[in-house]
Amino acid sequence: MSGIAVFLCRCFGEVNRVIDLDSLEKKSEKNDAVVFSSICESLCLTDDVEKAALRIRESGADKVVIGGCSHLARGSAIIDGLLQQGMKRSAIGLVDLREACAWIHANEPAKATEKAWDLIRMEIAGLHHRRESDNVTVGVCPEAMIVGAGPAGLSAARTLAQLGFKVHLVERGSSPGGMLNLISHVYPSDEKASEKIKVFVDEVENNPLIHFYPKAKINSITGFAGNFNVQVSSSAGEQRLRVGAVILASGARVWLPHGLYRYGKLTNVITQMELERQFIKGPREVNTAVFIQCVGARNQERPYCATMCCPSSLKNAVRIKKENRDALVFIVHRDIMTPGSVLEAYYRNALAKGVQFIRFEDTNPPEILGEGHVEGVEVFDSISGMKRKLACDLVVLSTPLIRNDDNVKLAGMLGLQVDRYGFFSEIYPLHPLETRMDGIFICGSARWPVSSDNAMVQGEGAAAKAAALLGRETVSALSLSRVPGEKLGHASVNATTCTGCGNCVAVCPFDACRLQKMGRKSISRVNKLRCKACGNCVSVCPNGTVQLPEHDYQAVGAMIKEAFGEEGAI
Amino acid sequence: MKILIFACKWCGMIGADGAGKKKIQLPSEFRVIPVECAALVEPDAVIRAFASGMTGVAVLGCHLGGCRFNHANHAAIKRQELLKTLLDATGIDGKRLLISFGTAHEDHQYAEVVKTFFEELEAMPSTAAWTS
Repeated sequence: MSGIAVFLCRCFGEVNRVIDLDSLEKKSEKNDAVVFSSICESLCLTDDVEKAALRIRESGADKVVIGGCSHLARGSAIIDGLLQQGMKRSAIGLVDLREACAWIHANEPAKATEKAWDLIRMEIAGLHHRRESDNVTVGVCPEAMIVGAGPAGLSAARTLAQLGFKVHLVERGSSPGGMLNLISHVYPSDEKASEKIKVFVDEVENNPLIHFYPKAKINSITGFAGNFNVQVSSSAGEQRLRVGAVILASGARVWLPHGLYRYGKLTNVITQMELERQFIKGPREVNTAVFIQCVGARNQERPYCATMCCPSSLKNAVRIKKENRDALVFIVHRDIMTPGSVLEAYYRNALAKGVQFIRFEDTNPPEILGEGHVEGVEVFDSISGMKRKLACDLVVLSTPLIRNDDNVKLAGMLGLQVDRYGFFSEIYPLHPLETRMDGIFICGSARWPVSSDNAMVQGEGAAAKAAALLGRETVSALSLSRVPGEKLGHASVNATTCTGCGNCVAVCPFDACRLQKMGRKSISRVNKLRCKACGNCVSVCPNGTVQLPEHDYQAVGAMIKEAFGEEGAI
Repeated sequence: MKILIFACKWCGMIGADGAGKKKIQLPSEFRVIPVECAALVEPDAVIRAFASGMTGVAVLGCHLGGCRFNHANHAAIKRQELLKTLLDATGIDGKRLLISFGTAHEDHQYAEVVKTFFEELEAMPSTAAWTS
């Protein structure tokens, strides 16, 4: 015997104060599909669910409709309880009688009861057609690929290797280090960057779990969380890798201020990075220097703050002061951005060392004086309201980090999104370092410009998140890699009726649909593990070939028919 | 008045739940069908709803750019806007289809969306002739 059991929860008077549950009980008993209907005081306390499950089993019903509170209140807990009792998800229907009916129509009990009856019938009708997606379980490949061997990628590689996972470290350049190779010292610790890299390079060279691929290029990535197939061409030739997770730490690049502040025309107007390069070569005697902040940043084109330029200027200004105590160093800024206790102390230290700060407005930027070589900088001090001429022999422009050129291409390959500045987007704010593609994580300046120490922190975070996936034995089509049991289902294609029009392929936000040759025609195939059950393909399919079993079109049609009044519509 | 609301589980339904918790009083003549994503609402389902005598249909989804399914709601809004012009052409006023993305994710906003849609529909001519 099969049929539907109906449980109506009083919620200690919250529901039946408005809705006449007794009449609903009688009405639902009369319904052909319903085996029994019962009113209970609560369904969410102690062993209520167990008792309900026992009654369902004894009565021979195979489906249940629960009229109670909303999904977000206690509904999902009741469903979880029934699932634990061995019921199928597609056999459980939850009708929200409390939040969506009793509480919002408290002044119209008659109409609320009518609506409650409609809602129950809608759910009964829907349950009749609801099915469940089949599950597929695939083993997880316990290896990770890390794109980019900068500070973020290196610390991610080290963390994963410490946890015992094999790591494929793919780098575009010939040696690890990334942007650390370009700077002399790192703030706020003032360590030598080369020494900081050395720790990591030793790790990369000596740890048998870390495989380093210099001069590498990613040709293609296919697959899903737990099983990605990657084609990499590196100096060792073309290779196919199978990895379970991908950590994107491809970094960013420095923007060059061509056309601003006569950069490139006057010899001593240089960028922060060029100054760093000079410092790598050895100490540099400077008598007067002016640092100009926010060059090409926090404007209309790039409204973001690149976060690492202010501390870098402080670092280099103090360094100049250290080498030549009498040097005059000015930092011409729009706002000094030094968040956190460490960086604020860094700023105070620069003040104490005698670095002078002058604030200007973005509407009135400083001007470089001099012909052929720099003679000075003219700046309108917005605090004192006076124009000041600063004689100097070196002007350093602080420019922001911008996206790498191949970000868009890489994002297209991986199915990721980039923000309007070309950086990779994460799931903000609830799942930091995670992208919308399961199993692909981002860290460091690929996500947003960060300092090297922050990049390392993010690298370790991304590694921990990747480890949570790689540590699992299997992934299944009905669970997300992130939180098990969160996924609704997955789309399924009827191979006999599919015409291969490709609508679903064009519209899928996760690249889960692909056209595949089948004899003379091509049909759409859905990757069950990539599919997230958004239903875009269902909506665009011209003949209903693609269906989401949990949200069948027949179920929706039946629900619409029952929505107002028992007699149904035309 | 018969209104059918397709509400996305991650925005519209959360707004509906919040409105219930705050006990905001709403007119009772609407029924909600929860969907995983607004993209799951087939244009066909909307047309079927009108064919079953609904005076209005609402599709409530998440903010554009805030969909948990990448750009799924961008595709959905395009589809539903296109459907509006079709409804206009068939004599059903396109305004009877309410498409709201990101304006129903909080309780008061949800209540506001439902109430104003009611008022708008009441101001429109009767649909009694459709079903007779």
